[in-house]
Amino acid sequence: MKLTDKIKTNDYYILWLKDAWPYLTGAILLSVFQIVTFAVTGNPWGVSAAFANWGAWIYEFAGGSVDKWYYFASEGAKNTLERGFLNDFASMRNVGIITGALFATLIASGFKFKKFKSSRQVLAAILGGLLMGYGARIAQGCNIGAFYSGISSLSLSGWVFGLFLFIGAMIGSKLLVKYFM
Amino acid sequence: MKEVELDCLGEACPVPLVKAQKKLAELEIGDILIVQIDHSCAMKNLPEWARTDGHNVEVEEVGDGEWDVIIEKVK
Repeated sequence: MKLTDKIKTNDYYILWLKDAWPYLTGAILLSVFQIVTFAVTGNPWGVSAAFANWGAWIYEFAGGSVDKWYYFASEGAKNTLERGFLNDFASMRNVGIITGALFATLIASGFKFKKFKSSRQVLAAILGGLLMGYGARIAQGCNIGAFYSGISSLSLSGWVFGLFLFIGAMIGSKLLVKYFM
Repeated sequence: MKEVELDCLGEACPVPLVKAQKKLAELEIGDILIVQIDHSCAMKNLPEWARTDGHNVEVEEVGDGEWDVIIEKVK
């Protein structure tokens, strides 16, 4: 028996690396790691705010300036932009999420480049991404920063965010079934 | 008794699930629906829904990141 076949059929490989973990395991690990990230960085876990900074860095790299932009006007935002990508905890954490997900799917031999099904699907993805990104910024957080971290810090705003997230998802699913099926 | 294939490759959740639910409703008892997916979350929610609904379900890995969810309509 070849080594690769031995690994493929190994019970622990299948249990830990191949098959998806149960939701409960994921929930517990997320809770533990958000405490770790809070303790280490001093800020609750957030994802999408860093992407706005990535946008600013790319814009600046291309010769633009965000000095006059209201969104980046605060002292904190300016400091983060000045310290740069490699010294930004949130950016590094996002890089970790992306490479970690890639590593996990490679190790489960589940990696695949997906085909675009239709131009409609591409349009929906771009439109959806723009709406989510813009919405997350004017709501000052996404489903992680505002919802997850809000609730885990016992903040009422997290529950309010969650309620409207639910309503939005309901409307979104109805639209999806109506226009994209 | 017939066998129907449903191509959901390249579709993200919840599209495969909704499409499969619609398709299975059109089929007769004893028919087999093969849903082709490449979105790993559909591998969880598709079999889960079909089993809760009381159908026979099998998942087959056909390639890297590609699965066939085989559903036999039993009621």
